[in-house]
Amino acid sequence: MKNNNKEVWIGHNDLNSPELQEMAKQEFANNIPVVDTMADEQVMESSTNRRDFLKYLGFGLGAATVAASCEIPVKRAIPYVVKPDEIVPGVATYYASSFVKGGDYTSILVKTREGRPIKIEGNSLSPVTHGGTTARAQAAVLDLYNVNRLQNPTKDWAEMDTEIKDALASANNIRIITNTNMSPTAQKAMGEFLAAYPKAQVVTYDAVSASGMLEANEVSFGLPTIPNYHFDKADNIISFGADFLGTWISAGEYAHGYAKNRKVDPKAENPTMSHHTQVESYMSLTGSNADNRIMVRPSEQGAAIKAFYNALVGNNMGSELNEKASNALKALADKVKGANGKTLVVSGSNNVAEQVVVNAINEYLGSYGSTITFDRTSNQRQGLDKPMAKLVSDLKGGKVDAVFVMDANPAYDLPEAADFAEAMAKVKTSVFISTVPNETGALCKYVAPAPHFLEAWGDVEPKAGMYSIIQPTIAPLFNTRQAEESLLVWADSSNLNAEADQPYFEYLKANWEANMFPKQNNFLSFQTFWDKTLHDGVFTAPVAASNVRNAADVNTYLAQIAKPGQGEEIVLFETVAMGAGQYAENPWLQELPDPVTRTTWGNYFGIPITWEGGNSMVTYQNLNQEEYKGKADVVEVSVNGKAQDITCIASFGLAANTFSAALGFGRMEVGFAGKGVGTNSMAWLSRDNDGNVQYFNILDAEPKPTGEIDYEFPCVQYHHTFGITGQEDGKEINVDEKTLMAIGEGFQGGLTERSIIYQANLNEVNDLKAKIAEKREFAKHLNDATLYPYEEYQEKFYSQGHHWGMAIDLNACIGCGACQVACVAENNVPVVGKTEVSRHHEMTWLRIDRYFFGDHENPNTVYQPMMCQHCDNAPCENVCPVGATNHSSEGLNQMTYNRCIGTRYCANNCPFKVRRLNWYDYTTADLFGGNEVYVNGEEIPFGADNLTRMVLNPDVTVRSRGVIEKCSFCVQRIQEGKLTAKKEGRSLREGDIKPACQTACVTGAITFGDFNNENGALAKALDSELNYLVLEETNVQSSVHYSAKIINRDEAIS
Amino acid sequence: MSSVVSPIRQPLVKGGKTYHQITEDICSPTERMPSTQWFIAFAVSIAFLGVFAFSVFWTVYWGIGSWNLNRTIGWSWDITNFVWWVGIGHAGTLISAILLLFRQKWRTGVNRAAEAMTIFAVICAGQYPLIHVGRIWLVFFIFPYPNTRGPLWVNFNSPLLWDVFAISTYLTVSLLFWYTGLVPDFATLRDRSKGIRRRIYNGLSFGWTGSAKHWQRWEALSLILAGLATPLVLSVHTIVSFDFATSVIPGWHTTIFPPYFVAGAIFSGFAMVQTLMIITRKVLKLQDYITLEHIESMNKVILVTGTIVGVAYLTELFIAWYSGYIYEQFAFYNRVLGPFYWSYIGMMTCNVLSPQIFWWKKMRRNIFVTFIMSLFVNVGMWFERFVIIATTLARDYLPSSWSYYTPTWVEIGLFVGTLGLFFTLFLLFTRVAPVVAIAEVKSILKTSGDQYSHEEH
Repeated sequence: MKNNNKEVWIGHNDLNSPELQEMAKQEFANNIPVVDTMADEQVMESSTNRRDFLKYLGFGLGAATVAASCEIPVKRAIPYVVKPDEIVPGVATYYASSFVKGGDYTSILVKTREGRPIKIEGNSLSPVTHGGTTARAQAAVLDLYNVNRLQNPTKDWAEMDTEIKDALASANNIRIITNTNMSPTAQKAMGEFLAAYPKAQVVTYDAVSASGMLEANEVSFGLPTIPNYHFDKADNIISFGADFLGTWISAGEYAHGYAKNRKVDPKAENPTMSHHTQVESYMSLTGSNADNRIMVRPSEQGAAIKAFYNALVGNNMGSELNEKASNALKALADKVKGANGKTLVVSGSNNVAEQVVVNAINEYLGSYGSTITFDRTSNQRQGLDKPMAKLVSDLKGGKVDAVFVMDANPAYDLPEAADFAEAMAKVKTSVFISTVPNETGALCKYVAPAPHFLEAWGDVEPKAGMYSIIQPTIAPLFNTRQAEESLLVWADSSNLNAEADQPYFEYLKANWEANMFPKQNNFLSFQTFWDKTLHDGVFTAPVAASNVRNAADVNTYLAQIAKPGQGEEIVLFETVAMGAGQYAENPWLQELPDPVTRTTWGNYFGIPITWEGGNSMVTYQNLNQEEYKGKADVVEVSVNGKAQDITCIASFGLAANTFSAALGFGRMEVGFAGKGVGTNSMAWLSRDNDGNVQYFNILDAEPKPTGEIDYEFPCVQYHHTFGITGQEDGKEINVDEKTLMAIGEGFQGGLTERSIIYQANLNEVNDLKAKIAEKREFAKHLNDATLYPYEEYQEKFYSQGHHWGMAIDLNACIGCGACQVACVAENNVPVVGKTEVSRHHEMTWLRIDRYFFGDHENPNTVYQPMMCQHCDNAPCENVCPVGATNHSSEGLNQMTYNRCIGTRYCANNCPFKVRRLNWYDYTTADLFGGNEVYVNGEEIPFGADNLTRMVLNPDVTVRSRGVIEKCSFCVQRIQEGKLTAKKEGRSLREGDIKPACQTACVTGAITFGDFNNENGALAKALDSELNYLVLEETNVQSSVHYSAKIINRDEAIS
Repeated sequence: MSSVVSPIRQPLVKGGKTYHQITEDICSPTERMPSTQWFIAFAVSIAFLGVFAFSVFWTVYWGIGSWNLNRTIGWSWDITNFVWWVGIGHAGTLISAILLLFRQKWRTGVNRAAEAMTIFAVICAGQYPLIHVGRIWLVFFIFPYPNTRGPLWVNFNSPLLWDVFAISTYLTVSLLFWYTGLVPDFATLRDRSKGIRRRIYNGLSFGWTGSAKHWQRWEALSLILAGLATPLVLSVHTIVSFDFATSVIPGWHTTIFPPYFVAGAIFSGFAMVQTLMIITRKVLKLQDYITLEHIESMNKVILVTGTIVGVAYLTELFIAWYSGYIYEQFAFYNRVLGPFYWSYIGMMTCNVLSPQIFWWKKMRRNIFVTFIMSLFVNVGMWFERFVIIATTLARDYLPSSWSYYTPTWVEIGLFVGTLGLFFTLFLLFTRVAPVVAIAEVKSILKTSGDQYSHEEH
C-alpha cells in the first residue's frame, strides 16, 4: 500500500487504470532481454565477447545496486506530448469561478498548477464579496480531493436513467428536496423538469433558515425576499441575534461593509466609527465584535424586539424582558431615535411576527432607502420551513412515491430528521444527487454523483442582477454528472444536447445568450460578452430601483410575539466553520478553532460563567478547570425528551440560565473528518406555531454531570482574558489577574501592563495614543541600552532593497478565521486531529488569539492574528545550533527545513510562540512507515493518499517529522512577485506581493509591504499613533505592526 | 606534603591499616565472586537500562510527539534530566581537581568513586541532547566538521553548540583524569592476578613499574589535569546555564544563573556522592577508608552550597521585584504560586530548608540522616531544573499560548532508564577497578592513619 501511494500520477484516469498500475510495479518500462542473450549459445562465439562481458558486468552491478536499495519507489512523471497553451509548468493559472454551497456564496479565483486546483482566492471584481473570502470558501478546494466523494452512480448511467424515467412516469407525487439554489440556469433546468412531470414539486429548505424573515417580508412588503443591507452606511447597527459577520446569510459581504465603518482614522481629532449593539443569548462572532452586548435569554428575543419597538415609539415597554436588558434597550432607543436613515436593525429571528416588528422598527428609523434597499435583493436564503415540515408528514403518510434529494441532508439537519429517515422507507423511488454521501443519501435507492463545483459549469445569482460564473478548473475526477444535466436527461429535455462534449455547458451558454446577454449594452457579440464574463467571473446587470411600502399592521404582530419562557434554555447556533454540518467533511474546517470558544473538532455545551469573587474561580484562565490538561467534564443534557452526553465548557457572554451548543456536529454518514465528531444537536431544535424552526429550546432538566471525563478536549487557548474587570470591595479589579495563581492571588497588572493588546473606548483614543507613545518610548529607552543599536543595523542591512513587513488592524479583524484556513491551504500546513490538538500540538502558522476584556459578565473581545513576527533581532536565530533558521537580506526570518534537527530551542525562545514542531509524522513523509498519526479513524492516514496530496502547493516544501516550521510571510509569493517584476523589467509595484492571509481577509485587516516603499500601503498603515509592536521592549525588533483596538462602547447601553 | 598533622584532626584511615591491608581491602572486591546483593542490584539496573532502550526506540520510531511537550513547552523532562545529570557530575571534578590543588587529604577516600560518578553522570547527561532532537539521524549536524554543503558551519552563537563543546571537553578531561589515577592501581591489581586477568590489567596499566620516574610523571600529569579540570568545574555548568540565561524568556534571562548553577551542581554532585558512598562503603566494607570524617566533610559542602543556592533563589525573587519589569515579576510570581507551585515547594524544601539540619554536628555524622538528606537534595535539584524549565515556558509572554505539562510514560521511562544506565555502569565499575584510590590512600596513611596521628597522645 505504502509503495502505491508514492507513485506520481498525472490525472484521475490513472487511478483506475490497471495497465498503468501494473507498469508502475515493474522495474523497467520494457523487458530487457538479458536472460535471452545470456542463454544464446552464439554469445560465446561472438567476436565482441569481452565488451559484452563488461557490459553485463556493469549492468549486473547496476541492477544489483538498484535491487539492493529496496525502498526506492518507482516514480513516473510524463511530459506533455502536446503542451496545452495555457499551462506552463511551474506557473500558476487562475480561473474566475464561484464557491457555492447551498446559500453560501463567494466569488473566487481558482489557482491551478499543472492542471490541478490548489488554492482559492477572492475575486476582487465581485460587487458582492469584493475580493474577500470566508474560511468555508478557502477550505472548499480540499473537498475536491476528498477521498470520500461519490465516485460512481449506483448503476450504469444509461440503465439508471431508464429506471428513473420509468419510475417518474408512473409516479403520482414527486418531490424534489433542495437547499437554497441561486443558479438561474439550474432553476431553468428545474423548470423543464417540473414541466415534464407536472406531478413534481420542489421543496426548498435551509438547515439554518431565514424562513421567518422571508415570510415577514412578504407580509410587510409583499416580497418574499431578503433585502440589500448596507452595513457600511449605518452609524448604528443593531442586531437581534443575527450573526451577520460569521454565519448569517451573506456574512462575507456584510463583514466587508461593516469593517469600512469600523476602522478608525488615527489622524482625526475626534475619530468616528459605527456603533454596534448585539442583542443575543450566547456570544456569537458578531456579538464578540459588538461594542455593546445586551444579553437576553433566547426565548426573550421576541420580547426584546417588542420592548425596543415600544421604547422607540414611546409605548410602555412592559415587563416581560429582564430589567437589565430592558434598561439597555431603552437607552439604545434614545440613542438612535434621532438618527434617521443612519441606523440598521437586523434580526436572526426565524419568527414571522418578530421579523415584521423588526421591519417596523427599521421603517420607524428610516432605514429603508438608505441602509436597507430592495434593489439588489439577496437570493442567498430561499428555504421555507413549513413546506418541509409538511413534506415530512406527507412522507409519513406514504403520500409521496418519488423523492429527489439535491445535495440536501434532511435526514440529519431537520428537527424531525428521525421521522424523515423512517418515512423515506415508504418512498418507492428515491434519488440522491450530490458530491458526497450523507445521512439522506444512505437512505436513497439511486445515487447520481455530481461533480465538485471546481469540476463543474454553472452560474449563480446571489443578489438580483449580480451574476457569477462557475467554471471547471479540472476534468471531473470521477464518474459524475452535473445535477442539472441529470434533471434535464430525466426530463427528456429537447434543449439539452446530450451528444455534446459538455452538454450542460452548452445549455448554460444558451441560457446566457437568451437571458443575460440582452441585459447589457457593452458587447455586441455574445462570444465577446461570454469571454469577458468568464474572464471576470462576474456580470452585473442593471436592476430597477424598487419602491416598497410597509403594509403590515404592526400591532397585530406585536401581540403575536410569544412571551419569554421559564426555566433553563439552550440556544443552538451555527458555527463559522461547520455551518449546519454541510462542512463536516472538511478536516481544515474541523481543525479551525471556533473564533469565540477556541475549540476544535466538536461542539461543546456552553455553561455561563459567573464571578464568585473568590480565588476558587479559575475560569478566567481555564474554562473548565481541567482545560489546560486537555480534559473536560461530560454532562447529560436532555431536550425534547432526547438526552445526550456532551462535553461542556464554561463560556463567556451567555445569558443567565442559558446554555449553548453548536449545530452541525455528530454526523455519522460522512467522510472520516466529520464522523462521530461532536454531538448531534439537531434533534433539540423546535418549531414555532408557524412551523418555522426555532434555534433554541427549553431544557427538560438541569444538565447533570455524568462523572465522565473527556480526555481529549481540543481547545487551543487556555487563558482567555486580558483584563476582565469585576468589583471587589467596591473597587474595580482585574479579575483574571486575581485568579491566575494556584496559591493565593495574582497581582494586578500582571497581564494588562504587557504590551500585547492595546485597547480603548472611542472617546479615550487620545489617551490611548499617549499611552502607546509612552510605552513605546520606554521600550525604545530599554532597547537603546545596547552596544548594537538597531537603527545602525537597519541602516546597514535593510535600507537598500526590500525590507518586508506587515501591519494588522485589530479594529478591522473580526476573527472569522479565513486567513488561517488560507494559510493552511497555501503552505501545506498539516492537519493533526483532535487528540493532537488537545495536547496543544496544532500546527497552524497563523492563529487568531482571542482575548476578552472589560466587564466580566459581558466582556468585549479583541482578536489578534498572530504569526511569525519576522524579528530583525530574532531570538530564535541565534540559538539554533545548526543555523537552520536565519535572516534574509530582506528582513525575513527563514527556515531551512533540511538543516533543522529539531532541538526546539528556537520555539522555546520565541516570545510569540509561533514556531511549530512536527511532533509526529503528520505529513506521512517519514523515512519509515507505520508511524503516521490518524486524524479521525481514516483508512489511510489523512494526506497519505494520492488524491488528497493533489491539493499540496508545489511551491512549498512538505515538512517531515522532527522539523520546526512557521510562517514564512509566504516567501514563495514574494519570490514569484519579484521574478514577475524582473521578467517584465520593472520594479515591484504595490500589490504585486500579497501573502495568503492578506488576500483571504474580507475586511482588509492585513497589509503586507515593503518598509522601504515610502508611498506604499504599508507606510500609510504605519503612519498612525495607534500603531505598536507587540512586546517591543524585548528588543526583538519585530516586523509585524498592530493597530490598537478601539471600541465604541456606550456605558449607558450595557 | 607536610608530615605534621594537627592532632585535632580526625584520622582519615582507621583500623590501624598497614599498606598491605589497604591493598587487600581495596583490591579484594574485584577479585572475589560478587555478592548476591550486587547481582540483585545489577539485575535491577539492567532492567532499567532495558526500559531506557525501549523508551529511546519508542521516541525515535514515533517522534517527539510521544512526549508530552507541546507548542509552548519545548523542553521539559528531557533538559531537566540533562542539566540534573551534568550537575551531578560536578562533585567528582571538584573533589579530584580543586581539592587536589588545595591539598585536601580527605579527598583520597572518595575521589575515585566520585570521578567515576562524574563520568557516568556525564554519559547519562549526554543521552538527552541526542534523543531530545526531532531528527536524531541528523544529529551530526551539530558538530563543526568539514562538509560539502558550502561548507556549512554550525552556529557559533548558539549556547547549545557551546554545550556540545563544554560537555565533550568535560567528558574528555574527566576521563583522562580518572584513568590517570587508575594506572598505578591497575598495576597493583595486575601484580596480584594471573592469566588473562593479568594480561588485561597489564594492558590497562600501561606497563607501570612503580619506578620513581613513573611516580614523578604521574604526579605531574595529575597536577596538570587538575589545573585543566579546575576551570571546567566552573565553566561547564556556567555554559549549561547559558542555555537559559542568554534567552529572552523571563525567568530564564537572568545574569545570576552561572554562579547559581555551579553552586547547584556541586550541591547535587556531593549529594550523589553521599548516596553512592554510603552504600558502597557498607557493601564493600570500606568503612575504614570512607570514614565518618569524609561524610561530615561532604555534608559541610552540601550545607554551604545548599545555602548558596537558597540565597540565589531569594535573590532571584528580590531582583524580579526590584527590576520593576512586569514580565520578570510575573514569571517569578508564577514560579512560586502558579500551577506548578508544588515543584517550587519541593525545590525549596529539599534544597534550602532540609540541608539546614547539617548545622548540627550530630546530624552531619549520622549516616542515616545523611543518606536521606542526599536523596532529598537530589530530588530538590531535579525540581529546581524542572521549575526553571517547564514552569517558565508554560507561561511566558503571550497568555494565549500558555500551557501545561505532564510527562508521558516515555519521558518517565527515559529518566528511570538513565538511572539504570548510571547504576549499571557504576556497578560494573565496582567490579573491575578499585573503588578507592589505593596509591593515594597509602600516601596519606603515615599522616592521617589513626595509628600514626593518634598514638602520640
